[in-house]
Amino acid sequence: MAYLFLAPWFIGMVVITIGPILASLYLSFTEYSLLQPPEWLGLENYRRMLDDERLHTALRVTFTYVFVSVPMQLALALALAFFLDRGVRGLAIYRSIYYLPSLLGGSVAIAILWRQIFGTEGLINQLLGAVGIEGEGWVSHPDHALSTLIVLNVWTFGAPMVIFLAGLRQIPTMYYEAAEVDGAGGFTKFWRITIPLLTPIIFFNLVLQIIGSFQTFTQAFIVSGGTGGPADSTLFYTLYTYQRGFGSFEMGYASALAWVLLVIIAIFTAVNFLAAKRWVHYGD
Amino acid sequence: MSGGHRKAWLSMTGVLAMALLASACGGDDGGDDGDGAAAGSEEQIQLRFSWWGSDERRELTEAAIAAFEEQHPEIDVQGEYIEWSGYWDRLATQVAAGDAPDVITQEERFLREYASRGALLDLSEHEDVIDLSQLDPLVTSSGEVDGGLYGIPTGVNAYVVYANPALFAQAGVELPDDTTWTWDDYIRIAGEITAATGGEVFGTMDYGGNEAGFKILARQNDQELYDADGELAFDAETLAQWWDYSLRLRDSGGAPQATLSAEQQDTGSPEQTLLGTNRAAMAWYWSNTLAALSSASGNELMLLRPPGEHEGDRTGNYYKPAMHYSVSADTEHPEEAAMLVDFLLNDPAAVDAIRSDRGLPANLEQRERILGDLDEHQVAEAEYLAEIQEDIEDSPPAPPVGAGQVVDIIKRLNVEVLFDRLTPDEAAEHFISEVEAATG
Repeated sequence: MAYLFLAPWFIGMVVITIGPILASLYLSFTEYSLLQPPEWLGLENYRRMLDDERLHTALRVTFTYVFVSVPMQLALALALAFFLDRGVRGLAIYRSIYYLPSLLGGSVAIAILWRQIFGTEGLINQLLGAVGIEGEGWVSHPDHALSTLIVLNVWTFGAPMVIFLAGLRQIPTMYYEAAEVDGAGGFTKFWRITIPLLTPIIFFNLVLQIIGSFQTFTQAFIVSGGTGGPADSTLFYTLYTYQRGFGSFEMGYASALAWVLLVIIAIFTAVNFLAAKRWVHYGD
Repeated sequence: MSGGHRKAWLSMTGVLAMALLASACGGDDGGDDGDGAAAGSEEQIQLRFSWWGSDERRELTEAAIAAFEEQHPEIDVQGEYIEWSGYWDRLATQVAAGDAPDVITQEERFLREYASRGALLDLSEHEDVIDLSQLDPLVTSSGEVDGGLYGIPTGVNAYVVYANPALFAQAGVELPDDTTWTWDDYIRIAGEITAATGGEVFGTMDYGGNEAGFKILARQNDQELYDADGELAFDAETLAQWWDYSLRLRDSGGAPQATLSAEQQDTGSPEQTLLGTNRAAMAWYWSNTLAALSSASGNELMLLRPPGEHEGDRTGNYYKPAMHYSVSADTEHPEEAAMLVDFLLNDPAAVDAIRSDRGLPANLEQRERILGDLDEHQVAEAEYLAEIQEDIEDSPPAPPVGAGQVVDIIKRLNVEVLFDRLTPDEAAEHFISEVEAATG
């Protein structure tokens, strides 16, 4: 009987998750155009990645994005959580307002809005124009387009902020009181008490945000109109995978790309967990 | 014994699942026909017909479908439509999933991809149903792939320079004589317009991200983008020269700065382009967007021949099949699908509904018939297409498999050139190696 109740989940897992995962592993060793049956290629798809210049661009773009936006986002989230935690009137309202972008940030509507705001004749340039600065198109300039997407990601700091806020609430006030008795100032309290006790939360947010940022797709797809442009400056890894699969009918190669991304994320997560032993304190 | 029992049980669940699926699929068409549901009544044949494009096109096409259903009450046609860029993603997944529409609108750069991979029906086997006798011979052969007929052109189109006479007047610049103007004239005039209006109006929009324009320049130099074997058939210098024109336009102010051009390149709807908003006096588009662009700008736009037609060894202009109708190889109703294609191409009711929305009708007799009652835009378009006939020496060969990828490749390289990240020569080299890889 138990199996019967498990069945809906189990069938879903096998048919919708495990099945396609295994199929994509197989397809990654084939040439598969969607229209004809796959042809076995062996390791050719993986070898091809070494010479694929656009893939190298995509890796560069994605790593830049992850390494710049995740620390900035977490720092902002922590800073705001810290100030909100110090007792602000109407905390619930502020918390909701700051959390809102996290709910909206990955959506198509916001990406379209971003495109408008940072366009050649968008809001930002109108504001700059009002003070006499002639701005260029931000999303359409190869040197700036990625920055606008980083700003978009940093803006969605609400989700880690709420988690930080919960973490801050967990820190017993007696530690601070004891420190004050010993004459500790605000910075010392933050650095010696708050941060160490918050490390498990920081670690949790870090792992989640790194994994999430590697998989960024919607924003880049909408802001660049699916091209990863201008001039491949927002060619995220997932976007490139999508282009190969659905744009040029190379599902085999796209599957191989997806598997390499999985390995990259797995390595980052593993390194994170190993490094965590050195800096994360789980209390006693 | 128990094994047999289990088998029966399994097949029972299979049948159940199928029934569920079938009812789920049938569920979304409810509303328009209450009669088909009753058991035992005559079965209605369902056909799905997909196309890309605007809301205006949807209205026209649904009128044509209604006329078809009136003539063939036993057939129910469902339209599936989406804008251009989403169309190809969706079609690829549908075909892969074995769920392709029965009648598929194709474009020449994608037609071969689908045909050569066995996704389309060879329509030459249905010539008893589809009457090809009236179709414009200049474009009919464009649907032939490997000896079969996989797509039939809907109509003809040409790539033209749009000009906005009101903006020329505002700038005090005379409209060029398009039978003699050269590429240098084009660049000079564009610069004059920008200068005369103090940058309020750009002389022209950048056009370097669409290979159709380059195709014309290549042909003017006695070359082709692709030869009959699908190989690249132009000199790198010609392509470099083409992008060099873009840089001259950018630097002289005749075309906008790089960021604005890069944005415009990805602007899908005519209303939002610089031409549609009266901020550019010239732009390159396909001739069948005249109505959409004119109504967006509110001015009567003119169609000019491309520059340089009588500058080089020969002319470069050509008729392009605007779209193709094709039929899925997996269709359960090839006969009825062919009937729908024949109807759309040849039936007066369909031509009356669609008019020149899919290019000037490929059916010459019908084209002649509707010329009298076209609106002003359609007349201007028809006149232009008739005028350039004397210039057109031949049709370019159909593009090879993989040509659909060139859409994105050339846009990307164009931006690299406009931002000076690649020189025209470097971009030409990149183009050649990337397109060879895509079509190889």
